[in-house]
Amino acid sequence: MAEPILEIKNLSATVAGKEIIKNLNLTINADEVHALMGPNGAGKSTLSYVLTGKPDYEVTGGEIRFCGKDLLAMKTDERASAGLFLSMQYPVAIPGVATNNFLKHAVNAKRKYEGLPELDAAEFLKLLRTEAKNLNIGADMLKREINVGFSGGEKKRMEILQMSLLKPSLAILDEADSGLDIDALKLVADGVNKLHNETNALLIITHHLDLLNHIEPDIVHIYADGHIIKSGDKNLAIELEKSGYKTFVDAE
Amino acid sequence: MSLTEQNITLWGDDIPWLAGLREKGLNAFNKAGLPTAKTEAWKYSFKAVGQTENLQIDTAPHECDGHCHHLHDLPFKAYQIHVCDGKLHGEHFDLPQGVSLKPLVEAIYDGDAKAYLNKSFEAEKFPFAALNTAYLEHGFMLVIERGTVVDEPIFIRYHNEHTTNTFNNIRNLIVVESRAKAEIIEYFDGNGIGNINNIVNEIFLSTDSSLQHYKLQSESASTRHISFNSIQQKSGSSYKCFVAQKECTLARHESYIKLMQEGASAEVNGIYKLNSDGVSDITTNIRHLAPHTISNQLVKGVVDGHAKGVFQGQIHIAPDAEQTEGYQLHRALLLSDEGEVDCKPELEIFADDVKCSHGATCGDLDKEQLFYMQSRGININDARRILIEAYLQEVLNKIDNSAVAEWIKAQF
Repeated sequence: MAEPILEIKNLSATVAGKEIIKNLNLTINADEVHALMGPNGAGKSTLSYVLTGKPDYEVTGGEIRFCGKDLLAMKTDERASAGLFLSMQYPVAIPGVATNNFLKHAVNAKRKYEGLPELDAAEFLKLLRTEAKNLNIGADMLKREINVGFSGGEKKRMEILQMSLLKPSLAILDEADSGLDIDALKLVADGVNKLHNETNALLIITHHLDLLNHIEPDIVHIYADGHIIKSGDKNLAIELEKSGYKTFVDAE
Repeated sequence: MSLTEQNITLWGDDIPWLAGLREKGLNAFNKAGLPTAKTEAWKYSFKAVGQTENLQIDTAPHECDGHCHHLHDLPFKAYQIHVCDGKLHGEHFDLPQGVSLKPLVEAIYDGDAKAYLNKSFEAEKFPFAALNTAYLEHGFMLVIERGTVVDEPIFIRYHNEHTTNTFNNIRNLIVVESRAKAEIIEYFDGNGIGNINNIVNEIFLSTDSSLQHYKLQSESASTRHISFNSIQQKSGSSYKCFVAQKECTLARHESYIKLMQEGASAEVNGIYKLNSDGVSDITTNIRHLAPHTISNQLVKGVVDGHAKGVFQGQIHIAPDAEQTEGYQLHRALLLSDEGEVDCKPELEIFADDVKCSHGATCGDLDKEQLFYMQSRGININDARRILIEAYLQEVLNKIDNSAVAEWIKAQF
């Protein structure tokens, strides 16, 4: 029996006083790939922000355990260092901060949390070059300010690069496929697949089947109105693609 | 005892023109008085001048116990000059060919100073500069001779260590002759207590000359630093100033720049970072008096605690100064509820064919950026520090000498 990585029990959460997550239950074990599919506005991204602890996202009920720890008692940076990663739908640009410096801060923050010595510039660059090459990210892009003027595809590849440097226990990919052409989609999917093994898990948030054809899900959840209305295997995603969300939501 | 009732004798009081000049300064100050809420140029920072009754002018000769010796840990080569406790250290200076530096009194005695002293500004408009004239004695005259390109920065360290409640008046004349080119760095530091350091630089740039003027103000918390920089520029000359102010009771850097002939250009850039209850004041007045002149200003500050950041920027474009360009931007991060940022841009445009802009912003750190960094494991304090560094970096990038930029950055 695989270890549970994420256990969400009876979770409710509000944003600006409005209840967006309603009594959500979800368990993700090591080695599993879960897909969370649902219509726009269902609260999928809200879930990813609640999990990462974004300010203004308030948990009003329930509990979340992450690798056995009380996730809600941890700060955002502690959650990240403990192995939670969110590939964001809209990664923010930070003028004045060079990408490679940003990545070095992130990698060393995690090493510090784990009690490992920080990497010096040379050690870090060696690591960075290897990982960046796999995602077809060149030295020029690493020198630029992070996400400043990056195309949609560049931003998504940068998110996956961060994931590959941080090697999380649970990676949430929020619309990692949006705005990607076929080649870029494959690059991102390959990057994710390479990282996935029996010790970690993936939660893929998506509208479409596209990404799931490249990253094979074990369990597919249909998410609407703040909770999961149906779960199944990949066939559920295929069925969903044919009939649309409305059929499922109306049946609820 | 008030600032104007110091019972002292100054060098050269028997020289009629010099005595006359000092008297003119004193009269101008008496007419204006110490700045109040009604003194427009001081309306945001006059309070920080504070107590002046207990201040004394130190007339003792300079005795140095060695604390003003060279800085050995500068990360770049430089010609070092030292002003210790308000007095120029030494009389002979190791400077390259084409560069001369004399104590101000020697330059007065030799007759070099008279053509420049008090020639670049109107005393009645600037009370502390007027007072500086009333007590002028200490300081230097620096001349970069015609066509000389100085290979290393001239580094002037003003180190106030053993003074308490002292009113230090320093007057410098900096003359850059035609086609000459130099970098000067002014560095203010030391542990002096309760002093007012009142510095006036009169800077004269001849045709096609260039001066990079860097300044790092890093004095003790109780210091009131009042610096007035009056710059006169002839055709094709370029003045580029970068001022970095750390926190003390009052740090005021005022630039009064006259672009007198065609093709002259000036830049004033700056950063300040305040955490407790100090005041930083950067005040500029750039006067475009001829066509085809250009000025640029970018100042960014970070204000936390109970501190106050002030930026006042005036751009004046005279009636005939067509095809001029004047740009100005002040941005501040206000990180606390108790902090204060005051910004006063003023454009006076009397010509038709000009390009001018000014802008001001004031805000907190970007929450989305902070969250993004935290979501990557970077703790909130490091994330804030990185964002503040990035914020100021834009201005540091304006410094041409990268070693100097790194040196300043390392102290912020």
